[in-house]
Amino acid sequence: MHELSLAQNLISQVLNLAREHQAKKVLRVSVEIGPFSGVVVDSFRFGYEVLSQEHGETRGSVLEIREPEQSFRCFSCGHVFNGKKMGDPCPDCKEGTLVAWGGDDIILLSVEME
Amino acid sequence: MCESCGCQGQGSFKKEIGVIEVNQRLLAANDAQAEFNRHYIEKLGALSINLISSPGSGKTTLLEKTIDALAGELRIGVIEGDIETERDADRIRARGIPVVQLTTGGACHLDAHIVHKGIRTLETQLDRTGLDLLFIENVGNLVCPVSFKLGEHLRAVLLSVPEGSDKPAKYPKAFMTSQVFLITKTDLVPYFDFSMEEAEREATRLNPGLEKFRLSSVTGENFDAWVGYLRNLLKKYRNILKD
Ligand SMILES: Nc1nc2c(ncn2[C@@H]2O[C@H](COP(=O)(O)OP(=O)(O)OP(=O)(O)O)[C@@H](O)[C@H]2O)c(=O)[nH]1
Ligand SMILES: [Mg+2]
Ligand SMILES: [Zn+2]
Repeated sequence: MHELSLAQNLISQVLNLAREHQAKKVLRVSVEIGPFSGVVVDSFRFGYEVLSQEHGETRGSVLEIREPEQSFRCFSCGHVFNGKKMGDPCPDCKEGTLVAWGGDDIILLSVEME
Repeated sequence: MCESCGCQGQGSFKKEIGVIEVNQRLLAANDAQAEFNRHYIEKLGALSINLISSPGSGKTTLLEKTIDALAGELRIGVIEGDIETERDADRIRARGIPVVQLTTGGACHLDAHIVHKGIRTLETQLDRTGLDLLFIENVGNLVCPVSFKLGEHLRAVLLSVPEGSDKPAKYPKAFMTSQVFLITKTDLVPYFDFSMEEAEREATRLNPGLEKFRLSSVTGENFDAWVGYLRNLLKKYRNILKD
């Protein structure tokens, strides 16, 4: 995957926010990585740690990563379940099969700065 | 800075910025550009299809055969994405079809911004009547292109027989985000341990709505069905655009 370019993308967005708010220092960046994003979390974190050193604003900032559990939605009745597998039969309607539901992206949740 | 004590001249009311809630997807900018591209493509009158597969699964060959099958009937345009070289575009150009080669210079996928440039360049090769079908051949890669919408109406994932029927299970996202699943190089089935049933079952598990075709660009197997599907789709699309 292209974790490094994703990390670069995140840092650009954070730097824009810092400039917009005239902040000197970014302390903490919180993101959510969707369970279906295919992103390798360790590589992404490594990319962030390396690239954040390049800018005074982001140097030394903490990257906080949330990784929600996978959830699945029944193709037929639409109910959503956790702790299941793709393609399992639906525990509710017994008719449909479960397909991946949401969470295929990286979301920038919040930035703490001063 | 203050000469006597070194303070910043802000008094003690230093501006606290604190926590800014953002809640924005990293790909939001790409998605917005993709949406813009889609409208742009609709103005040209075209239905656009993003082709995704591993390197060498037969995307360009599929395009060549599809162009031949629809020659004189539908106006087709092609945007080729590769890391390097004009080779794929040259193959399409040889058929007298408007084509643009995008080279990513190393990037493993096309994104909506580079495709926008491609559309603008393609436009200069079109006459006033516009286009019917716009194919965008993505960089050969079954992982990275999946995250980037380009402005396509439809995404087709190709899996060739030599790659093995376990690929839908191993690369689920490509199959989850596509609407069409093309098994290619079916003429090679006798020489490989490939199960059509396994490939289609796994893909359907991931995405029950997938439209499926088993194609060979060598024997022409099922090209009638594939081309018929495209014709039909274009008809439906035109009706929707009219409303
Ligand atoms: N036997 C057989 N070979 C095929 C078929 N389709 C394509 N090929 C061969 O597979 C090779 C790769 O085909 P391409 O069409 O260039 O594949 P591609 O997906 O465009 O490749 P990239 O753009 O490099 O990712 C070529 O040697 C083709 O002749 C098919 O249906 N049957
Ligand atoms: Mg090609
Ligand atoms: Zn159900």
